[in-house]
Amino acid sequence: MAANNRKVILIRTYTAFAFMCVFAAAIITFLFKIQFKERQHWVDLSENLSTTIQTIEPARGSIFAIDGSLLATSLPIYDLRLDGKAPGFTKGDVFENNVDSLALMLSQLFKDRSKAEYKRILTSVKKRKDRYYLLKRKVSYPEMKAVKEFPIFRLSKHNKYEGGLTIEEKNKREKPFEYLAERTIGYNMSGIKPVGIEGAFNKDLSGKEGKRVMQRIAGGTWIPVNDEEQIEARNGNDIHTTIDVNIQDVATHALMRTLVANDAEWGTAVLMEVSTGEIRAIANLTRVSEGKYSEKYNYAVGESLEPGSTFKLASSLALLEDKKVQMTDLFDTENGEKRYFENAVMYDSEKGGHGVVTFQHAFEISSNVAISKAIYQNYKSNPVQFYNHLEKLHFTNPLGLQITGEGKPRIKHPKDKDWYGTTLPWSSIGYEIKVTPLQMLTFYNAVANNGKMVKPLFVKRITNTGKIIKEYKTQIIEKKIASPETIKNLRIMMEGVIERGTGSKLKNPNYTIGGKTGTALVADGRKGYAQTIYRASFCGYFPANNPQYTCIVMVNAPSKGIYYGGAVAGPVFKEIADKVYANSHNLHGDIKLVLTQTNPNPTIIKGAHKQQLQTALNTLGKETKRSDSIEENGSEWAQATILNNKAKVTPRIINKNMMPDVVGMGLKDAVYLLENNGLQVQAEGYGKVKAQSIPAGTTLSKGTKVTIKLG
Amino acid sequence: MTTWEKIRPRGDMFMWMVIFILSFWGLLAIYSSTGALAYKKNGGAVEIYLLQQSGLLAGGFFIMFIVHSIHYKYFISLSKLAIWITYPLLIYTLIFGIEINGARRWINLFGVTFQASDFAKLAIVMFVTRELARKQDTIDDFKKTFLPILGHITAICILIAPENLSTAMVLFATCFLILFIGRVKIKHLALITGVVMVAGILFFTLLFVAPENALKGRMLTWKNRVESFGKNEIDADKTYQNDHAKIAIATGGIFGKLPGNSIERNFLPEAYSDFIYAIIAEEYGLIGALIMLMLYMFFLYRAIRIVLRSPKAFGALIAVGLSFSLVLQALINMAVAVNLFPVTGLTLPLISKGGTSILLTSVAFGVIMSVSRYIEEDEPEGKEDLMMDSTQTTIQKQ
Repeated sequence: MAANNRKVILIRTYTAFAFMCVFAAAIITFLFKIQFKERQHWVDLSENLSTTIQTIEPARGSIFAIDGSLLATSLPIYDLRLDGKAPGFTKGDVFENNVDSLALMLSQLFKDRSKAEYKRILTSVKKRKDRYYLLKRKVSYPEMKAVKEFPIFRLSKHNKYEGGLTIEEKNKREKPFEYLAERTIGYNMSGIKPVGIEGAFNKDLSGKEGKRVMQRIAGGTWIPVNDEEQIEARNGNDIHTTIDVNIQDVATHALMRTLVANDAEWGTAVLMEVSTGEIRAIANLTRVSEGKYSEKYNYAVGESLEPGSTFKLASSLALLEDKKVQMTDLFDTENGEKRYFENAVMYDSEKGGHGVVTFQHAFEISSNVAISKAIYQNYKSNPVQFYNHLEKLHFTNPLGLQITGEGKPRIKHPKDKDWYGTTLPWSSIGYEIKVTPLQMLTFYNAVANNGKMVKPLFVKRITNTGKIIKEYKTQIIEKKIASPETIKNLRIMMEGVIERGTGSKLKNPNYTIGGKTGTALVADGRKGYAQTIYRASFCGYFPANNPQYTCIVMVNAPSKGIYYGGAVAGPVFKEIADKVYANSHNLHGDIKLVLTQTNPNPTIIKGAHKQQLQTALNTLGKETKRSDSIEENGSEWAQATILNNKAKVTPRIINKNMMPDVVGMGLKDAVYLLENNGLQVQAEGYGKVKAQSIPAGTTLSKGTKVTIKLG
Repeated sequence: MTTWEKIRPRGDMFMWMVIFILSFWGLLAIYSSTGALAYKKNGGAVEIYLLQQSGLLAGGFFIMFIVHSIHYKYFISLSKLAIWITYPLLIYTLIFGIEINGARRWINLFGVTFQASDFAKLAIVMFVTRELARKQDTIDDFKKTFLPILGHITAICILIAPENLSTAMVLFATCFLILFIGRVKIKHLALITGVVMVAGILFFTLLFVAPENALKGRMLTWKNRVESFGKNEIDADKTYQNDHAKIAIATGGIFGKLPGNSIERNFLPEAYSDFIYAIIAEEYGLIGALIMLMLYMFFLYRAIRIVLRSPKAFGALIAVGLSFSLVLQALINMAVAVNLFPVTGLTLPLISKGGTSILLTSVAFGVIMSVSRYIEEDEPEGKEDLMMDSTQTTIQKQ
């Protein structure tokens, strides 16, 4: 090799090396630039980008009725989104080959868009590379499961992000009994004032959020940074209420019928167990449009209003307890008119008055003149004495209930600025004062409970996964509101109301009732009492000889000409009392009892609408084994059996012309099924169907009457 | 002679040292940077990658040692055969290749998955140096020397380009550098430059003028990469990698977060290959990054020294050619990490994780060391008769 060539090679090699040095210098320059000049920018960015704290949503607790049925529960629902940049959309021919079948399956499943429309959406998501397209909101668990198996989407089985389907789980609050006690169950939604048990027990129900520090890693995947730093979510506690779904059902519907019949503005009905104060039913209905009512406001708890004549029981208690009057003391009703002051005349509802009556009878016929006279005469000089009674009866302060939104009562004190001359006589008959229906009920309940006043109880227990967290016992708020003698006399008077007074419509041969009617003129804010709007009420207890339940019914502004408490509110009371009494296991009609053969595998859910059953089982646990035939079988009905501790759902085939076996079903399902088969159903008792009057398998003709017995 | 003397690697001990240091450094870096990959695939077990990489590294050293024990002249004669094997391999890849990350670069032969372009790189560099060495006397001959060599280079690069444009471009640049060192006429080199520039301008114009849906294959990826290059803002996914590489460098500071403490390895896709230099900068700091760069440059410098001692252009050219090829690849990988270059997909030799490419890199290093060794053995110091100018005499006497 020529020396010159070597030299040239050397020179060129050094030149090339020099070039490499320049290149290296450029890299070093960039390293320095990033390290020093741009440093802050990147450090800031890293702090924003690297990690995020993800909250782990706890499952909200459920609310149960006293028999364990669900009043409110959270169902998981899912939002489905598409990722147009996922391999399933972008890679090879996968999309083109499967888009048609995917669109078809989506269309068949959701039935909300045509196949072509779904295809158009999918194609456009792919084209726009939309990474977060909302395909469908609020998809149920079975639907979500199905969609996951669809073409393209099922690629995600191997890699979560491959199929391009993003599933976001959310919770939806479901009330299986819909409007039953809806307002008392309440709600807790962001931005709105919480209501009812949901609101009051929100802290218990909502559980505790978990926290997890997440880091975004290559490929957009978020991974938990450190398992030890993770705070587990604690699921919400379950609330066990005192509500009895079946009585609640009766109360709601009885009230509803009366409200519709009288075209009233609103109504409330509350049933309370005498000895415990447990609220078995609480219905509050407001007219939303003509003939339509819904639970909009908890009047029983929240509405503080002039009670009217039902308050006469408190006045009577004061008079009898202070021995100011005797039951047999005579009072002149003065032609039904008593002028207390120049512009203050008290009228009895009956024009012309009742003549001279005993104190007891004045109560029974609800004479305003007689009662107010008795109070006025006896407490005029010392009105505080009367006030003290009302205070002892807990009318002056809120009861302090377990649920939120309790109305504030207003009882005037003689020292109050607005204590007028009329205040004493008028408050004695329930005007110029305001109390809530539940306060009134609590008072009546105390009388029924031999003078022991207990606080209304809505929630008995708080549990978490079956473990009792907290128990609420009956709370006695007044040991003795009056002497046994007074209580005895008050009850004699209340029973007299039914026997020969304003509540005689409630008289029945089966059991006795004690109570008091009320027909209050409703004061309109601006117009005073001029509007002649009435509020009919009835508050009482039954059976009178051994009181088990107290109940208050109030119907506001009935507008069909009938407005007396006994006539409007009384029937609702009677209907509720009838049902409750019928279920008290000492009154049975004769029905032919049909026994079902025993099944070695206990059927837990005998018959239920298939979809509802599935929803319920999904809620209970996603692991529940479902027999697939349920999908293929045409039957709408299904039953669940327990086998090896696993619930198994099998379809139930219902033959339209044959009497089905409804034993074991719930009332709603049984009635639905039987009425669907053209039968007229009469149901007695509550609980699950125990017996049916027509044996299963009997050929049916339309309109046949069938009696089912629940228990 | 002790046992160690019998079996010790021969050749430039400084170069061997650089190779060892970089390899072990790479092992540590892999251990750190595969965190994310390990999490995705094995639920966090990084050890499997460490074992895998250790195995490959051991295999690599073994190959290096074997190769460096064989006289380089055999490899030079093999290069002709290699180049003719390369063509069918590349064509096979284009048609039957396995797609990974949207590029069809891999082939599976006899159960081994590898990139044909890795093999092509080695083959063409050796082939070009061989041709240049053989034809030193007729180096100015356009038709007999220049065109045939350029023909092979162009053909190989064009076959690689459709699926791996960056590798093709870097390979072409490397070959150009070797042609320059190998005394190819400046006029001819200028001609290549001119033609390449015109072709390049035409190509990129096409890339940006043509509507997106008309772009086939990887063209869109190329476009995105060029577009994202140099931007400082977070723009969806486009600058994602570059941003995180910069965050890694910036947060690493001067002294680094120390080995194993990289955060950005979780964010950087391909943290263990394309962007490993950023992870190095994050864990070992600016100082670590500079040392690594210097190690490559030092290796290149030592390789150039072979030319000073090589009796024949033959060995010198092949060592220098391969060294330039490897170090240029390293610099380009680093340039990508610091966002001096757009993303290329080129690995950092000896450091990056990578199956068979490590083995082929080992062959390349082995050949370089073979040249270093046999030049020492064939032409012991002082017997150099071709050292004409004084500068080299000085170096020689160091």
